[in-house]
Amino acid sequence: MKRRDMLKLAALGAALLTTTALLSTGNAFAQDKKWKIGFSQVTTIEPWRAQFNKDIIAEAAKHPEVELIITDGEDKTEKQVADVENLIRQEVDALLVSPKESAGLTGVVQQAIDAKIPVFVLDRNVDTKDYTQFVGGDNKLIGRAAGEYAVELLGGKGKAAGNVVEIWGGMGTQPAHDRHDGFHEFTDKEPGIKYLLDQQSGDWKQDQAYNLMANALKTNEKIDLVYGHNDPMAYGAYLAAKDVGREKDIKFIGIDGLPNEGVQMVNKGELTATFTYVTPGAEGLRQAIKFLNGEKVEKTITLPTEKITKENAAKVLKDNGL
Amino acid sequence: MTALKLLSRTKLYWGLIAIFLIGVLGSPVSSKGNNIFLSYGNLLDVLRQVSTTGLIATGMTAVIITGGIDLSVGSLMAICSVVCAMLLTVPGVTPGVVLGVPTVALVALCLGFVVTRFIFLNVEKSRTGPDAAARDVKLDSVRGLVTPAIVGVFLCGLSLWYLLPQIEPKFGVLGVLLVAPCVGLLFGAINGFIIVAGRLQPFIVTLAMMVTALGIARLTAGQNNAVLPVYTGSNATADFEMLRSLVFGVIPMPGLFFLGAILIYGAVLRFTPFGRYVYAIGGNEEAARLSGIAAGRVKIATYAVSGLLAGLAAVLYVAQYRQGKPDAGAGLELDAIAAVVIGGTSLMGGRGSLIGTFCGVLIFGLLSNILQLHNINSNLQLVLKGMIIIGTVLVQERNAGDLLAYLRLPGGQPARKETAAAKRPPQETPSLNLGGNKK
Repeated sequence: MKRRDMLKLAALGAALLTTTALLSTGNAFAQDKKWKIGFSQVTTIEPWRAQFNKDIIAEAAKHPEVELIITDGEDKTEKQVADVENLIRQEVDALLVSPKESAGLTGVVQQAIDAKIPVFVLDRNVDTKDYTQFVGGDNKLIGRAAGEYAVELLGGKGKAAGNVVEIWGGMGTQPAHDRHDGFHEFTDKEPGIKYLLDQQSGDWKQDQAYNLMANALKTNEKIDLVYGHNDPMAYGAYLAAKDVGREKDIKFIGIDGLPNEGVQMVNKGELTATFTYVTPGAEGLRQAIKFLNGEKVEKTITLPTEKITKENAAKVLKDNGL
Repeated sequence: MTALKLLSRTKLYWGLIAIFLIGVLGSPVSSKGNNIFLSYGNLLDVLRQVSTTGLIATGMTAVIITGGIDLSVGSLMAICSVVCAMLLTVPGVTPGVVLGVPTVALVALCLGFVVTRFIFLNVEKSRTGPDAAARDVKLDSVRGLVTPAIVGVFLCGLSLWYLLPQIEPKFGVLGVLLVAPCVGLLFGAINGFIIVAGRLQPFIVTLAMMVTALGIARLTAGQNNAVLPVYTGSNATADFEMLRSLVFGVIPMPGLFFLGAILIYGAVLRFTPFGRYVYAIGGNEEAARLSGIAAGRVKIATYAVSGLLAGLAAVLYVAQYRQGKPDAGAGLELDAIAAVVIGGTSLMGGRGSLIGTFCGVLIFGLLSNILQLHNINSNLQLVLKGMIIIGTVLVQERNAGDLLAYLRLPGGQPARKETAAAKRPPQETPSLNLGGNKK
């Protein structure tokens, strides 16, 4: 009885061992690479994050001296902190982190800094100043660009009028607040603009935005503009309007401008405009390599935004090979 | 020797040793030539990483042994983390204080009742004879209310005396360590009370509590600052750093809490009448009740402790991640249940142990650690984790032979001759007999 158990155990162990060994053979070839760079990503199932990973992997492919390790935090602070701890144990030469939240990741980033690993914070910042560099877009800036364009769409400065539906991302996330604040810097100056919903969150998701918009359409005869904090939510609102045949009366503005998402929607005329929120992946990796080669890097790099409308959408798609 | 015996009875260390060996043999080497897996720092990381889930799983084990389940632990942890962060950072009367301080008072009051009732129960037992019993009933109606009330008010006053002066200047670590677990305890007790008094399925009640508690956590945090950061360096939180530090430079504080909970609750389950009742109820609730066990109260207590440990986990969460937020602990209940089940506790109730849960939690933690150290694709990690969990449980439960036999594969031999239904003989829950013999 006992011996049979032992045998089973040995068999199971051997099977697992071979699996892990096989899966990690990639490491054997990695020994001759010069730099081992770890990147802790929040999640991979969100389109923008997927594009983020795609960009950083494409950039890494251009640098044969770099071995890039990407970890997936599965959208949990606990998991991401554990990931970074693991990367520290692996003694990576540089660490790139795109935190889920600032507060949650600060401790572990500090830990990496204490371990003398240069840290590049991407997209969302942490609550310490000791990191090497921050690379990210400025959501407020993008919000402002969207607000300015919304005022233009609704009749121009000083005479803009209309009913606006704003669909928030997650209520607890800084990007949502920045995208809100920047937008309102322009639209709040217009007395003609009315806001129909009081802080309704679509949690960055298309299906939730659809439901929000479907309700808003029932209770409001006239809606002129929808501002979604990202493209999927703006598109969800578009679908809701389309289902009741009112999509032609409404302008839809989104944010993020991913090539195969927002830009496509604009190109098809479903969204009126989107504003790119460039992923900091490629730039972050370039900066890290620059730093590892002994060059000086700036403390903060802010990535610019671009307005995408029907006019330039086709060109952007072509540039991205779509 | 006894410790070894205990281990071998749980059968579980097989899985743990297997995982550990895989970790050691397949340990990757860092770019500077260090063996990563066995390094002291890495093992500390694992212990710290599992401690939150571990505390939750500890409370969950007793609940599952009684045949119940607690799906609300993640949300309870969220409430407690929000309360905790508020007490630490926001001065004045906050929703956290409003939720926390009366809770502590209430819990203290209930504790007063429980403590005095317990003393009374013992007094009653020491007396014999029919007259004494009749006299007790009369006396009880007076003493049974007055004395507990006095003790309760005393405890209540004591806690408020300690807490109230702390409201204006922010709460210190002791205040938080008192309040957050009490909030958890209260919600856990509500769970248990509804399950017992309303005679509802634990699954339904705790599912409802999971949703309700999430709402309360969000309402408490307020819409616009769903993440409540606890910055280091500020005076109120300086003490709080202690909860993340290494104790005597050896073991991380969260790990110490986890080990402490396992040892204490483990001892309670194994050596006290309460523990025997827990197993008896899980074995056969009706029989337990007929043999004179106050099944309802025992069940309420297990849910209350589950909530208490969720509150404790929340304090450690806030200390580790420097924040409280309403989605802390999301999905944690499933991790905890998985760890408990890997640890050999039966979801049917009546069978299981905390040593098992300890092994289960470590198996889970080491597994994640190993896969991550090998930089295996994260989606593949999920697949491997699922497969390895099944494999581990099959080995532990000695059912691997059954599976192979069913598939008519070589090496397949049923581990036992009995059928699956008869596989759990009553002697696996000896506590049932103990409980019965007593009366």
